[in-house]
Amino acid sequence: MLALLLLCLRLLRAEPLAYPAVISPQDPTLLIGSSLTATCTVSADSRLRAEDLYWTLNGRRLPAASYAALGATTLSVALARLNGSKQQSGDNLVCHSRDGGILAGSCLYVGLPPEKPVNISCWSKNMKDLTCKWAPGTEGETFLHTNYTLKYKLRWYGRDNTCQEYHTAGPYSCHIPKDLALFTPYEIWVEASNRLGVAVSDVVMLDILDVVTTDPPADVHVSRVGDLEDQLSVRWSSPPALKDFLFQAKYQIQYRVEDSSEWKVVDDVGNQTSCRLAGLRPGTVYFVQVRCNPFGIYGSKKAGIWSDWSNPTAASTPRSERAAGGCEPKGGEQNTTLRRELKQFFGWVKKHAYGCSNLSIKLYDQWRVWLQKSHKTRNQVGATRR
Amino acid sequence: MLNVAGEISGDSWGIFAFLCAALCNLPAVPALNGTDELGTGQSIQKTYDLTRYLEHQLRTLAGTYLNYLGPPFNEPDFNPPRLAWAERVPSATVDFDLWRGLTDNARLAANYRAYSRLLCYLRGLDGQAGTAELRHSLGHFCSSLQGLVVSIAGVMSSLGYPLPAGTAAAAAGPPAPAGAPASPNDFLKKMDDFWLLKELQTWLWRSAKDFNRLKKKVPPAVVTLRLEAQGF
Repeated sequence: MLALLLLCLRLLRAEPLAYPAVISPQDPTLLIGSSLTATCTVSADSRLRAEDLYWTLNGRRLPAASYAALGATTLSVALARLNGSKQQSGDNLVCHSRDGGILAGSCLYVGLPPEKPVNISCWSKNMKDLTCKWAPGTEGETFLHTNYTLKYKLRWYGRDNTCQEYHTAGPYSCHIPKDLALFTPYEIWVEASNRLGVAVSDVVMLDILDVVTTDPPADVHVSRVGDLEDQLSVRWSSPPALKDFLFQAKYQIQYRVEDSSEWKVVDDVGNQTSCRLAGLRPGTVYFVQVRCNPFGIYGSKKAGIWSDWSNPTAASTPRSERAAGGCEPKGGEQNTTLRRELKQFFGWVKKHAYGCSNLSIKLYDQWRVWLQKSHKTRNQVGATRR
Repeated sequence: MLNVAGEISGDSWGIFAFLCAALCNLPAVPALNGTDELGTGQSIQKTYDLTRYLEHQLRTLAGTYLNYLGPPFNEPDFNPPRLAWAERVPSATVDFDLWRGLTDNARLAANYRAYSRLLCYLRGLDGQAGTAELRHSLGHFCSSLQGLVVSIAGVMSSLGYPLPAGTAAAAAGPPAPAGAPASPNDFLKKMDDFWLLKELQTWLWRSAKDFNRLKKKVPPAVVTLRLEAQGF
């Protein structure tokens, strides 16, 4: 089997050739819709003639009607109204000998010059760096590989700098990691270039302090407010990186019920680091997130950029014991009576029996949940029937 | 790798496997012949596994890259002429008897030289090629291929063979391939790229056979030990 494999490998090997033919133009760049006449000239020491040749474009044979012999060893082909290149590496125009062998090839780059990049937007994480993103011009598709270069300079002085780290926040983005100055605006623009030309975006002027964003708030805690069934208390600390500068920072909270995808947003939190959510449903699990906007940092008059939301924190509102309605399981009447008695008992235990502080109604709740999961509920309910 | 914790049962295989693992994992074992060969056996196995992994990765990468080059390069039966400069890519094809008769040193050296050069040329593939995703896949493949070169070097040094002269720089890293010929035009470059990928594929097929052969030459005692431990 191994011998067979190596025999096959030997067959794949072809004889090496020098330049069998030359195509002109070699690797041209063309505007969409233009026409092209290409020629294939077989080398002098070859036995091939013009009539032994044919052309293919991207693997498809071109009609003989478009050929013309320009001498004994040269065959031309006429291509009209070219479409944009099928791939950015160029269309493959190939000159073949009669038996299909490849004699020469030329890559055609057919496309459009780039459009001005637009919608440049930037943000600075904790005033340490600057990331900018933009969108290609309206058309977008130029069929040619387009290079984007982000440039920036300090207004009124300084030389042009070029951003080096691309694609950090999507395909049209760049990251400037250091050496950024505060208090003086930057001029930022993007240059797009391809084989057919260059386009420069409008210049955007911004001050680093006006586009600051930060990390989400840390240590988000959500807890019940005593026995209140419709409230939860949310506490957090300001993002650590800018902790000393966030006097005027704003916060936003969003929350939703466990099985809903609709978030409710609390907008008027101001710069407090705690908030009480009210008007909630009893006995429901809520997910809560907080985010921060470093508004007014270092005296900036503009709104900053909202941070990402913090990881969701879950908490549940207390369940009312007197709730009527269909949410209680069968035998609920007995359960609520039992539960109330148990709660009173535990309260008494806490007061009078030191060292039993772990006993609480919460433990009973956890036990009930566990019971339901292990499918023993019915039996137990029967057992606790008084 | 053997996972010792929890594998210890009452029976003798469990104890045996535990002893094996203890031997394999002890860092400061005195230089017994047994553990040296154990190490080499594992290196060869690792290198073999790496060639299979790279072969798998290459299938996807080559598919994407050839689509980037466009038809006819991505057609299944495409077989362009191999022009003079493409000959510089080391060929894996070799006479069967010659291949079978290679000494361990020669076999390993051929692999080492080939992958060092292939890595060099691969790094020289157009830096602007295609999408950022394609460039990322290429970069990832180059890292894995460098791992293979290092792995082969490891096997050679553990068997006491010197590394082939003049190829040390290739494994070191920086991508500027001094040896890679600059293609005179874009179409010829595409053909070079095609042959590079083809040779890479052929080499990985061949290396699997090379390392399989080397595996069998590791002393039988060690092989038995490994088989029994793996059979647990």
